[in-house]
Amino acid sequence: MSVVKRPSAKSKWYIPGILTGLGITIKHMLFNLAHRKDIYTIEYPEERYPYSERFKGNHILTVKKDGSLRCTACMLCATYCPAECISIVAAEHDDPSVEKYPISYEIDILRCVFCGFCEEACPVDAIRMGPEHQTAAIVGDNFVYDINRLAYRPGLKGGVLSKVDDEERHKKGL
Amino acid sequence: MEQKLLMKHYENDEYASYKGYVKHDGYAALKKAFTMKPDDIIAEVKNSGLRGRGGAGFSTGMKWSFLPKNNEPRFLLCNADEGEPGTFKDRMMMERAPHQLIEGMIISAFAIQSKKSYIYIRGEYNESYKIVEKALKEAYDAGMLGKNIMNSGFDHDMDVYRGAGAYIVGEETALISSLEGLKGQPKLKPPFPAVQGYLRKPTIVNNVETLAAVTWIITNGAGAYKKYGTEKSAGTKLFSVSGNINKPGVYEVPLGYPFKDLLENECGGMKQGFNFKALIPGGSSCPVLNKEEALKSTMDYECMSQLGSMLGSGGVIVIDDKQCMVDLLKVLMHFYHHESCGQCTPCREGTGWLEKLTNGIGAGTAKLEDVGLLDKVARHMMGTTICALSDAAALPVISFVSKFRDEFECHVREHRCKVKGKCHAQDHH
Amino acid sequence: MPKITINGKNMEVPAGTSIIQACQQADIPIAHYCWHEGLSVAGACRMCMVEVEKNPKLQIACNTQAVDGMIIHTDSEKVKDTVKWALDFHLINHPLDCPICDQAGECKLQDYYMSYGLYTPEMNQPKMKKNKVVSLGERVLLDQERCILCSRCVRFTSEVSKTNELGIFNRGDRSVIGTFENRPMNNNYSVNTVDICPVGALTSKDFRFKQRVWFLKDFETICNGCSTGCNVTVSYNQNGVFRVRPRKNEAVNGHWMCDEGRDVYKHTNLEFRLEQVVERNDELGGASVKGKPVPLAIQEISKKLKTLTSKNADAVAVVLTAQYTVEEYEALLQALTALKVKNFYHWKNNEETFDSFDGLLLRGDKNPNTQGLLKVMEKYKVKGNLKDFEKGSAFSMTIVAGPENQTVYPDLEKKIDVLKKGGEVVYLTSCKNDKFNTFKWQIPMKSFVEKSGTFINHKGMEQKIKGGLKISKEAITLTEFAAALSEAGGARA
Repeated sequence: MSVVKRPSAKSKWYIPGILTGLGITIKHMLFNLAHRKDIYTIEYPEERYPYSERFKGNHILTVKKDGSLRCTACMLCATYCPAECISIVAAEHDDPSVEKYPISYEIDILRCVFCGFCEEACPVDAIRMGPEHQTAAIVGDNFVYDINRLAYRPGLKGGVLSKVDDEERHKKGL
Repeated sequence: MEQKLLMKHYENDEYASYKGYVKHDGYAALKKAFTMKPDDIIAEVKNSGLRGRGGAGFSTGMKWSFLPKNNEPRFLLCNADEGEPGTFKDRMMMERAPHQLIEGMIISAFAIQSKKSYIYIRGEYNESYKIVEKALKEAYDAGMLGKNIMNSGFDHDMDVYRGAGAYIVGEETALISSLEGLKGQPKLKPPFPAVQGYLRKPTIVNNVETLAAVTWIITNGAGAYKKYGTEKSAGTKLFSVSGNINKPGVYEVPLGYPFKDLLENECGGMKQGFNFKALIPGGSSCPVLNKEEALKSTMDYECMSQLGSMLGSGGVIVIDDKQCMVDLLKVLMHFYHHESCGQCTPCREGTGWLEKLTNGIGAGTAKLEDVGLLDKVARHMMGTTICALSDAAALPVISFVSKFRDEFECHVREHRCKVKGKCHAQDHH
Repeated sequence: MPKITINGKNMEVPAGTSIIQACQQADIPIAHYCWHEGLSVAGACRMCMVEVEKNPKLQIACNTQAVDGMIIHTDSEKVKDTVKWALDFHLINHPLDCPICDQAGECKLQDYYMSYGLYTPEMNQPKMKKNKVVSLGERVLLDQERCILCSRCVRFTSEVSKTNELGIFNRGDRSVIGTFENRPMNNNYSVNTVDICPVGALTSKDFRFKQRVWFLKDFETICNGCSTGCNVTVSYNQNGVFRVRPRKNEAVNGHWMCDEGRDVYKHTNLEFRLEQVVERNDELGGASVKGKPVPLAIQEISKKLKTLTSKNADAVAVVLTAQYTVEEYEALLQALTALKVKNFYHWKNNEETFDSFDGLLLRGDKNPNTQGLLKVMEKYKVKGNLKDFEKGSAFSMTIVAGPENQTVYPDLEKKIDVLKKGGEVVYLTSCKNDKFNTFKWQIPMKSFVEKSGTFINHKGMEQKIKGGLKISKEAITLTEFAAALSEAGGARA
């Protein structure tokens, strides 16, 4: 028995096909016009998709109450990073209760895979993955983010406060 | 009944001077000792059953026999550091009868063939130091010290050395370190002082009372000494009794004397308004005994160790029912924390931790688990250190928490003192 | 020789061995902080507790002599619990400094916590506060809170360097390490205390915060600072060399090295190195031209050399410092003596203090291979030192194997003037110096961490150095130079 399907009479004619297709489209259009609120389409860029709090976007280096960087240059993030994109240079701080801080903290954003391991590794909540992810740039731009960009860019409004505050701990003597 | 073997003439003010001492058969024992052979003296002391009166309770004669049989110079050190809280008998002995001690030391030195001895007095005993120095000068003038004492051919020199305010130098190797001019920290044992002690030479360290007892033993014989006390704890002991009793002081009773009698007879019972609650029998390092245990105890080494405590230095601290046990433990922990030498880690860190925990319980800021933690920390401080200060700090903790746990828990749970009834916000240390 | 059993394993040890030494020989790990092979026994940390049968209490392994018939257990439950609590006591006042402490990654507290600890800490009381960044001297920083008072550093300054600068002040948990007033620790062996410190209390100012130790790789070699030839371990990564630490060798340096040797790695890093050939171009008024490829440069040198030696080999001189390996000297001398060159001169660093010795490790001869050079020169029957060079007549060409470590040649600049009478000077060096621009040629050489070979120390002991990394890309060794000299320009003479 032949298994070749020969085109039926209906499909040989274009008009019935076009009318069926159009009909479906017009049905959807009328339905959508009647139910504007249920349309899934998001009018980007005026509307944005609400991402969760845990979204892994651009990094944020948090700051202490006095505005200085929370990071103590322990280099756990650089160690844990699977893409090896973090470079840190540590230096001595004049205040002995701070002692160590990074004079240079760079993330090569083109290498970064946004896995969030650095946030997990940090013992003092110094680095977080923020919600920002739309940072397109052109060839020739600087794709190595430094401290200024990671901690003090305009969008962060002066710096995000870290949740791990050593002041309390030092006062208690722990 | 008090048996004043050593303290017979202490009431007599003259007894402290050479003249007064000699009037009451002073230095007769020394004369007799020079007629004996040194080994015989050691045998006599061993026979008498005399045990170290400083706290350890080790047989004195046996300690002396550990010296190596060679020609190395030996040293005799008298441990007059008396740091154990609750003990003040050595002070009385040095202030009332310094010559009794000096004579005992010369006899002991002759027995162990030592040409030089030191009396190490704690820095705080200013009066005792002056009196002993004076007595030494008198002994030298009378020819009892120096070359060819009493024409026996035996030379001996004795010096007083002052401490500078540390409990830890009561430990024999720490005492030796301090005497050598080093920091007063205990040394590792082995090697033991009898083999390698002061300046790496064989050294014997004995307590004041032990050495003074040697005088009596040589005068009256080992048999006479054994007549007092019990079979394993022979002789008499000076007990320093303190607390809210009518007659606190130093009492010399034969070993094996029931504590009840000591409290009621010699000390005149508890003061008006105070009831007996607990007893620390031998200085603060000994575990505490509660009322039932204390009232059926006798003051000797065996009974005390059977009850889980120690006779120790004989610093009898009588605790009344108006005393909060947590408060008392706070004072003790502060003491041990302050006095730890800091050489080995469990004691150095543990004493600090114990003090902080106890303070927290006392102030009512602690959690219930902290009472159990206090006990756990103390148990793990025991047996792992260079010297026994760590054990001395841990034993009171373990005994207080196990026998008076209700007081501790009341502080924590209800934030008030069971004894004083007050809340911690009000004055409570 | 007492026979003992440790963890069921029978072994025989020399008399007088302590249990911890016996375990070290048998590779059985015992936790310890205060014990060190090169220092006396302190017994302060109480971590090395072991169970000895017939003894109710645990004993410390560092102070207990092994006696015939002793049966020892180091891994019973009782031992593990005791060690865990000993560690707990060490940690209750220890500050939470791991992120900023240099010792992280090689810290004994961290290591033992992973093997014996792994518990939830119960200490919730305020910790002891002491001084943090305290300078003990020119090279060492102290953090009093991190110190576990093992007293290794105090014993070191008392027994090894015999300078007694360190002591423990106060008692109990207020104890701190410190120096006496107006007597900082500036002896020549101070950085050894940083090595022996088991925690991050003593840190080297030189290495401070430069790198995390897990980013570093180690290899073993010989220090090239002086003729003692201390065995060292060099730590490096792709950014260069970061530090040098001593390795144990009973015959040469014990467990220690001097502070001067700690600085020798500095000259190997790229910023100090000569990276390319520099040629003095007289047509351009003596300006320096950089960048000629090394083989090309050697070819030109070889041509000139062969021209000179075919006419008069005495017009060529060779000045050698003793900072290269025996194999390199062999190759160079063989190549040059084959060309009939006879004028070899040994350039010492310092005549007055050359034979001095500071009593412990440091010698006045700051070259690692003087004996090696002299041996090779003797083999090829050539003699001479720089004084002869100064006294003699001028030469047409001089090949100088200059010192790798310029700091130990304090009169280098004066000697440059002396060398100028060598005519066309081919200066072989690993480190750059603008004063060398007066020489005709400067060829980049490998430093001691980049090549393998043999150094012979003052006693005649041969020790091997092993290269571990490549820093200056175009650098060569004397062997390669000699080989290129012979090959280039055609047939050997």
